Amino acid sequence: MIKVYRSAIINATADKVWKLVRDFNGLPKWHPAIATSEIEGGLPADRVGCVRRFTRKSDGGLLREQLLSLADDTRCLTYNILVSPMPVANYMAGMRFTPITMGGDTFAEWWAVFDVTSGPPQSTADDIGDNVFVAGFAAIGRLLAH
Amino acid sequence: MTKIFVSAVIDAPIEKVWARVRDFNNLPEWHPKFSRSHVEGGLASDRVGCVRNFDIAGGGGTIRERLLELSDVEHSFRYCILTSPLPVEGYVAQLTLYPVTVGDKTVGIWTAEFDVTNNDEAGVVNAVAKDTFGKAFEVLNGYFAR
Repeated sequence: MIKVYRSAIINATADKVWKLVRDFNGLPKWHPAIATSEIEGGLPADRVGCVRRFTRKSDGGLLREQLLSLADDTRCLTYNILVSPMPVANYMAGMRFTPITMGGDTFAEWWAVFDVTSGPPQSTADDIGDNVFVAGFAAIGRLLAH
Repeated sequence: MTKIFVSAVIDAPIEKVWARVRDFNNLPEWHPKFSRSHVEGGLASDRVGCVRNFDIAGGGGTIRERLLELSDVEHSFRYCILTSPLPVEGYVAQLTLYPVTVGDKTVGIWTAEFDVTNNDEAGVVNAVAKDTFGKAFEVLNGYFAR
């Protein structure tokens, strides 16, 4: 079991950031690594238990992830991976967006715990932390910065 | 019930900030609003249950607060007011630090819940949120300015 945690300050209000990332079907709108997304079975994207089916830009690789929890008051969501091209198993992740009252920015956190099924675990963890999580924060900042 | 939530970015690594604020008997050392402090009964200031007895600078009166919880893992402590010149009842507050991995900074979140026992809720909120918590983050950030 390995754990990844990344956090950053995004120069936009937490309400604006949350409005963007709350959409479990919205990754292609903001994440630079993601090409397409749909919610299986035509369910609403804020229905806990729904599954998003999305593809990576780099290789068209398919991922399926299930929404495990969603909370608007704490601006927090969690999900797990059902299918992924990455060498991971038992993958569960979450993100949370907290207002910085002094200045109006957002404290963004994204974490995951999982097992690595092949290759050096730390390099897979770093890859996810830097190229998925931190790259995602940076992209949100570029879209919304005030 | 009145709730206070104040958060800020402190431009220093979390372990440095935690080292400065962890000592429950150290408030006057870094917060300009307070002077003189001792822990009652000569207890160690990281002994959960201990009571700090300190003054509001400039003759503003004495406050006694009990340490309810201290966690080095969560970088957090929680405490309640036993005696205070502030018109509050059932006052419980918590300071938690979070690491900002992008840029190696710290986010501080300071919350409190209490009932106001006079009719000046705005004045009490100002004294807690702005003069105490907000000021604390301001001076911490200034102390570590790099």
